[in-house]
Amino acid sequence: MGSRATVPAWAVQAYGKWQKRRTAWLATGICVAVASLICAPLLMIPGGSMMDGAEMRQILSPILGEGKGFAVWHLIPVYPTIGHFYRLLIESPAFYHLFWNTVGMTAAILLGQLAVGLPSAWAFAAFRFRGRDFLFGLYVVLMLLPFQVMLLPQYIVLQKLHLYNHQTAVILPAVFSTFPVFIMYRGFTQIETEVLEAARLDGAGELQIFFHIGLPLGKMGIQAAMVLSFLEYWNLVEQPMAFLEEQAAWPLSLYLPQITISQAGVAFAVAVMVLIPALFVFALGQDALEEGIAYIGVKA
Amino acid sequence: MFLLPGLAGVMLFYLLPFLEVVRRSFLQSGNSAFVGIDNYRAVWENGAFVLAVRNTFLYMAVGVPLLMGSSLLLSLLLRNLRLRRRLVSAMLLPMAVPAAVMVLTLQILIDRQGVINGVLTKAAEQIMVIPAFEAIDYLNTEWALVVVVCSFLWKNTGYMVILWLAGLAALPKEVEEAAQVDGANRWQNWHYIIRPGLSGSFFTIGMLSVLQIFKSYREVWMVAGSYPQEHIYFLQHLLQNWYLKLEFDRMAALTVIMSLVLLVVCLCLQKRLEQREENF
Repeated sequence: MGSRATVPAWAVQAYGKWQKRRTAWLATGICVAVASLICAPLLMIPGGSMMDGAEMRQILSPILGEGKGFAVWHLIPVYPTIGHFYRLLIESPAFYHLFWNTVGMTAAILLGQLAVGLPSAWAFAAFRFRGRDFLFGLYVVLMLLPFQVMLLPQYIVLQKLHLYNHQTAVILPAVFSTFPVFIMYRGFTQIETEVLEAARLDGAGELQIFFHIGLPLGKMGIQAAMVLSFLEYWNLVEQPMAFLEEQAAWPLSLYLPQITISQAGVAFAVAVMVLIPALFVFALGQDALEEGIAYIGVKA
Repeated sequence: MFLLPGLAGVMLFYLLPFLEVVRRSFLQSGNSAFVGIDNYRAVWENGAFVLAVRNTFLYMAVGVPLLMGSSLLLSLLLRNLRLRRRLVSAMLLPMAVPAAVMVLTLQILIDRQGVINGVLTKAAEQIMVIPAFEAIDYLNTEWALVVVVCSFLWKNTGYMVILWLAGLAALPKEVEEAAQVDGANRWQNWHYIIRPGLSGSFFTIGMLSVLQIFKSYREVWMVAGSYPQEHIYFLQHLLQNWYLKLEFDRMAALTVIMSLVLLVVCLCLQKRLEQREENF
């Protein structure tokens, strides 16, 4: 007679349950740890933006080449100040100029992508025409190429069109980027083809179908494309660096790295101002963002 | 009809100039004399090119498996958790952080006299494992590649976790449940059910990881500048620097070479995506 046989059934069940819960806790623990590690560097930013210049100089002196030992960091400043924001927002018109550069360029690109990309995506999703598969393949390849490969080709065309060193040099190629077309296309393909056929049978015009069926039902893909584009173009670096010589035309994302570490307080304040809109869009568009990423790989 | 305006723009800003670059890659810049494959030979024999190719491959060989492995592991852990949505969002957060902001914090952390070395030194002193910890100059030694790979992982893990989770969600639940009833353990579950079911995702995510490697140049440039430590001198540095020096003939040749290589990657990826589309 083994002792096993005498263990009551409820105890076995309870043990199984406990084991399952333990695994879940362990998995949660690991994932929470990784997620916090990923988010941790961001905790430096609010503190840094409100840190007094003297305090910053003191704790960063080893990096600035003035001291021995190692830099430390205070997550909560000892002498908090809003001086950097004051200087940035009240005293320096240059900041506004660059900030509105970023806003203007991003807005122009997003609107352009909607105006151009939305019909293109619809064309790929709703119609079968000759050369469709080849063209779509081309769009996919173009969306996957890194910018450096397109650097010389785009430079040549911008030079020819006399757009070089003008903000449209950054805006126009981005407007015709094929990535949002792909994402919006994936959103449209979620619509059942029967719906479109039924509408056509009922005598709806193609424009009517696009506005009354395509746009409302493909909303998720459109949102996803806009969120992904916003995060990309809010963060422009290489394009303005290559095509805009004058600093006055730069976006904030390219200007920020020019602030040296000795003015870290200002840099952190700028970082906060750059980060807030991006986080705002991230929080609002999160479902769309996750959906959009899933479109890229797996969802058919 | 819907497509025309978009297609015209794509032609103008992407396709035609690209064909022009292909043409120019056989010409000498300046007098436009036909030089055959001389530009390609010049690229091939360039010392910086050889270095950049080697570094780019090394970066890929380290970065891609690490990214795929860690994100797959995380998504397997995450997939049945109650906190899943929150955790995925947290891991995705780096997508919203502009590169410039990330670089700012990185500078303070990884300087030779920065915070990370400070913490390590203190830890070494306290625990007495290593009596004198030698401060590492991360950006000016071989460690630079480690920094680059870490920032690559930081930026892309959430993205890949979502792709894996989408792949996992597409697996039929009944099979796993049936296997569990039959007493399959976790390893058998992985080996016989999940892994074969994910083979399509493996391929797609692998290719996307490769392409993300090429797209991660922005961070590298911002941390280390145009002439970084020689272990993180990549093909994009070469293109960028030839662009600044107006060496357009060699640049055209390199552009063609790189796009051919990437084209092969893309075509493989696409074939796969189309196959999946047909399956549904």
